[in-house]
Amino acid sequence: MKPTRHPARCLRPIWRVVGLLLGILGPGTEWAIGAGPDGFETPRPGRVFAFHRDHGSHPGFSIEWWYVTGHLWETNGTRHGFQATFFRRSAPRAGADGTAASPAFQDSQIHLGHMALLDGGSGRFLHQERLNREGWDAHASESGLDLRNGNWTMRWSAGGTESRGAMELRGSVRSDASFALNLVPRKPLVVFGTNGVSRKAAEPWAASHYLTFPRLEVSGTLEISGKPRAVRGEAWMDHEFSSSQLGAGQVGWDWAGIQLEDGREIMAYRMRREDGSADPFSTVAWVDAQGSVRHLGPDQFQWKADGTWRSPATGALYPARVRLDVHDPHTGNPVTLVLEPVVASQELTGGLGGIAYWEGACRVLNAEGRDLGRAFLEMTGYAGSLSGRF
Amino acid sequence: MHAASTAMLMVIVALGVGVYFAVRLANRAAVASFQNFTDVLTSGSDGLIQAPAGYLPESVLPELRGLFDAAPIQILPVLESSAARPRGGESESIGTRESFTILGVDLIAVQSTAVERFGGRAAFQSPPGDVRSPAAPGAAVVGHLWTLLRDPRSVWMGAAAARRLGLSPGDSFPLVIQERIVPLRVAGVFPADPSRPEVPADLLVMDLPALQHWTDAAGRLSRVEFVVEDGASRDRVWADARARLVAAAERGAGAARWTVSTPGERRAGGEKMTRAFRLNLTILSLLALLVGLYLVFQALDGAVVRRREELAILRSLGVRPVDLRRAWMLEAVVLGCVGGVLGLALGWLGAQGAVRLIGRTVNALYYSSSASSASLSPGEAVVALAASVMVCVLAGWMPAAQAAVVPPAQLLSRKQGVHPEGPAVLRRPAWAGILAGLGALLCTLPPVRMDGGTRFPAAAYLAAFLWVFSAGILGAALLRGLARRFEFLGDRWASARVALSHLREPSGRHRLAVAGLVCAVAMTAGMAILVGSFDRTMRGWISRTFQADLYLSSDGAQSASTENRIRPATWRSVVTNAAVARAQVLQVARIQLPTAESMLMGCDLEFFRNHARPAWRSAPADDAVFDPDRNASLALVSEAFCERFQLGRGDRVDVPTPGGSRSLTIAGVYSDYGNERGSILVDRGRFSEWFGDELASSLILVLRPGISPEAVGAALRREHPGLAVFTQSRLRAEALRIFRQTFAITYALELIGVVVAVAGLGFTLTSLLWERRDSLATLRTLGFRRGELAVAAALEGLLTATAGITSGLVASGALGWLLIQRVNRQTFGWTLETHWPWGFLLGLAALVAGAAFLTAWTVGYRSGRIPAEREE
Repeated sequence: MKPTRHPARCLRPIWRVVGLLLGILGPGTEWAIGAGPDGFETPRPGRVFAFHRDHGSHPGFSIEWWYVTGHLWETNGTRHGFQATFFRRSAPRAGADGTAASPAFQDSQIHLGHMALLDGGSGRFLHQERLNREGWDAHASESGLDLRNGNWTMRWSAGGTESRGAMELRGSVRSDASFALNLVPRKPLVVFGTNGVSRKAAEPWAASHYLTFPRLEVSGTLEISGKPRAVRGEAWMDHEFSSSQLGAGQVGWDWAGIQLEDGREIMAYRMRREDGSADPFSTVAWVDAQGSVRHLGPDQFQWKADGTWRSPATGALYPARVRLDVHDPHTGNPVTLVLEPVVASQELTGGLGGIAYWEGACRVLNAEGRDLGRAFLEMTGYAGSLSGRF
Repeated sequence: MHAASTAMLMVIVALGVGVYFAVRLANRAAVASFQNFTDVLTSGSDGLIQAPAGYLPESVLPELRGLFDAAPIQILPVLESSAARPRGGESESIGTRESFTILGVDLIAVQSTAVERFGGRAAFQSPPGDVRSPAAPGAAVVGHLWTLLRDPRSVWMGAAAARRLGLSPGDSFPLVIQERIVPLRVAGVFPADPSRPEVPADLLVMDLPALQHWTDAAGRLSRVEFVVEDGASRDRVWADARARLVAAAERGAGAARWTVSTPGERRAGGEKMTRAFRLNLTILSLLALLVGLYLVFQALDGAVVRRREELAILRSLGVRPVDLRRAWMLEAVVLGCVGGVLGLALGWLGAQGAVRLIGRTVNALYYSSSASSASLSPGEAVVALAASVMVCVLAGWMPAAQAAVVPPAQLLSRKQGVHPEGPAVLRRPAWAGILAGLGALLCTLPPVRMDGGTRFPAAAYLAAFLWVFSAGILGAALLRGLARRFEFLGDRWASARVALSHLREPSGRHRLAVAGLVCAVAMTAGMAILVGSFDRTMRGWISRTFQADLYLSSDGAQSASTENRIRPATWRSVVTNAAVARAQVLQVARIQLPTAESMLMGCDLEFFRNHARPAWRSAPADDAVFDPDRNASLALVSEAFCERFQLGRGDRVDVPTPGGSRSLTIAGVYSDYGNERGSILVDRGRFSEWFGDELASSLILVLRPGISPEAVGAALRREHPGLAVFTQSRLRAEALRIFRQTFAITYALELIGVVVAVAGLGFTLTSLLWERRDSLATLRTLGFRRGELAVAAALEGLLTATAGITSGLVASGALGWLLIQRVNRQTFGWTLETHWPWGFLLGLAALVAGAAFLTAWTVGYRSGRIPAEREE
């Protein structure tokens, strides 16, 4: 799931997992995210990012994730979608005396991973979660992008930089599918928010550093059911870190990363409140062809459900077709973008995390049905309200 | 009478089948208690690697991840250790306290596996009540969460263990890990879940680094398991990974770094460990069934005689011989079935008792066995039932043939029995010689060698069978001789005259009774000779070996496979005690040699020579092996090791260690009755260098002259409550107790053999007298009183028993030799000094003779009332 839109929300699955893991949280238990900063850093306006360093892990912050979503095509035109997520969560610093830890099995951080693949050939949606502690089998380097969680890895290929070169992503969904992909940035890195800080809620600490490669050229191999095939396509990558808390009264969020054929991208999120309205911290950000960002407030766009899909697994009813009416800063005119799922069933049912959410590949159409590009859409809080649970 | 004899026959068959079935079931249960505990968390991994000796270093983990090259395989490092409840006020008897396997796994990573394997449900739950404080619920939860993970005392267990220990989440309880008493805390209880393997009551789970902390095993793993993630390419992924594992094991210097196996193979390894023991037990359990075979034969044969009129009438009515034969066989099958089913019930009951006896032996000799009840196995039941039917069919074959072929006229003539002298083979003493000779030839054959180091002395067992059979023929032949020998009695008493007249021309029934008795006496006495010899040898070995003043081990060491060790800081403080003159520090590791598992021990070899006074099978040629400066590549090995690996003094053996393979030359071979896997003894300095630790399995102390071992022992116990401290006499008694306990099942089997044999004799006499009811009536007419008839019968019974006992005892001598020199040596590699338990043998003879006399007297007395078949 892409809790980016509200960093603290991404804790939820993690805490839920750990709760289940250690047997202290029963179903429906109220829980809290680590109370306050617990000595962790909060995002600082004007922070000067240094790369490769800042592509790596920031253990000074308690929450961090690297989130890749993309669209792939085989040479015969078959379309696929993929998601690869690496979460990192710091443990509270208090109470760690190291007695029950070792370098291979640490108690300082845990890593949660999600992999998903939409097999466009069969229409099957495959997904898997994984939990690991910092140590021999899961790690996020502090000196640059180098992530591991079991057999899932992501790192810069040798000699690559943020402006040149490629990232290597290797992922799998059980023994059903695997992929080895090269990701080459087609645009410079984008920093969302104001002065390097992306505010998420009214509460001052609810903020993050939000770094994005909005368009990556993808090439590599995808193997499904033992059959390898060459694929090409485009991906979106978020890297976000924070230590923040949530605001109150929110029940879930919707997010989309849209790549338009005209070379521009849109990042949009809507924080949903109990009354169904969008939180004022909802936003749409346009990235132009050169990589410049323009943020629009909640009064400058409308996010409407344009069709629903009910999950047979969780019973959740998702507004899985979305109509986004938004002001186009380039033309100055309003535009309508319709996000239409490639396949309706792209729900991650949340075995480990305990939270189900919908995250999937979509076509982007205009009001007349003409193809404008592609998107990844994320919808949370539909399989039971998240309100009051964190 | 008829119904009663049929019922009795069924009981005998049932007893035979029951004993066999009980032992098989108990065997299974004892083996089943060797399991892969990780299955509880993963529902079974696809494969695992283990070091051929000692531990695997953690550094193999990233290597393995690289080796699999992004393949979807979960790599689960496992550390397994053992623990036991502290003794408290209880005695220090080894193996009597609750012991546990502690599994150290990465509790966070294993969660992914569990969720994948168990359909999205986590393995841990059961919230302890105290986790949420009302003031700051969230913080309390979070705080508690990390408190649990970071508290090395946190331990998880199944509902069965929680019940057994009477614990709930949050409770504290002490456990001996290594040699310290660790206060553990129940962090959670696995809920019972029918869709998952049951969590055994002797399993505890800890976070891996916490267990490493308590066992001084930082950076060390017992094994690494692999779970291939489900999916379309699963089989191919594992095949490829396994090939890579095998190839990578050979990488590096010398011996393989690890062995690759599957959990099934590992379980099978546990089975192999005890296979020799179980096979021998199974053979013994057949004793009662074998005696039963003779009895059924007799009974069916008797029935042919009894029902000759019926048969004759049927034949005259035109019933074909083949149909008669079929009907007769059917009767045998029915007997086998009913007796068999009864036997299954009996066996199942018996198994519940036997499983504890067998479990104790497995515990003492092989690995921690938690078996406390045996469950019904349909497979074993079918086999037992089949055995029962087969025995009856086999026994019924000849009588059925007789019933079918003897012409009606002969059947109707009452003077002529069916085949009065019994089976031809029992009448030809030459056969006895041929069979005995054949047996002698078989004795020269080597045992069957199976993988895993098991040897099965099949030829020796066959020889035993031939000898017992041959002795049966001889015993039958003795009858006539005995009758002549005691003819003078007949001159004085009419009763004796009657009895002897029957034995001078012994019927088939007599011969069979003798053969059956020979079988039971020979096997029972033969076992007694083996056990007596074993006992004598053990006592000698124990008094030679245990010469020092005090013996120390971890108080948690409750089985042969214990992982409880004494940490260096503790043993150093013990051996530097002012009262200690000399100390032996023993280090032990299980090692995997190419063909089978064995034990490597590190100790002071000089101390071993002087204070354990080994009995040499091959003494070292010189003193080099005892000199740390010269024994770098020398080793002493136990006799069992030589037998198991077919090596001897002067041979070289490559021993795997974590630091690589070491080539050692066998400098000498000593007797050891402690284990059948064999031991290799090397200098402790080398051992600790190779294994990188100084964890001691036990300490042996020689105190300064004049110091009381009891006082020092008590002081050590106070100072180190996690240590078990034995004085010399206490340890000797303990060793003997454990040894005798392992033979408990043997005694039980012997007893049943004797009971069946005596019952069989009574049964034979009853049926003989029934057949002779006409002549009994005649005797009564002639003025014989009931008492005189009883004495005649008793004498007949006594002489018949004497023939059986005499021949049986002679055969038991041969069997004893065979068991000691062949079966035991070939199976376990233990040389025993032969000891004749005269008292037991005499007692057995007296018991059988007395029982025969009494039974026969009773039968004879009651026969006074049998009505004549028809008046002469």
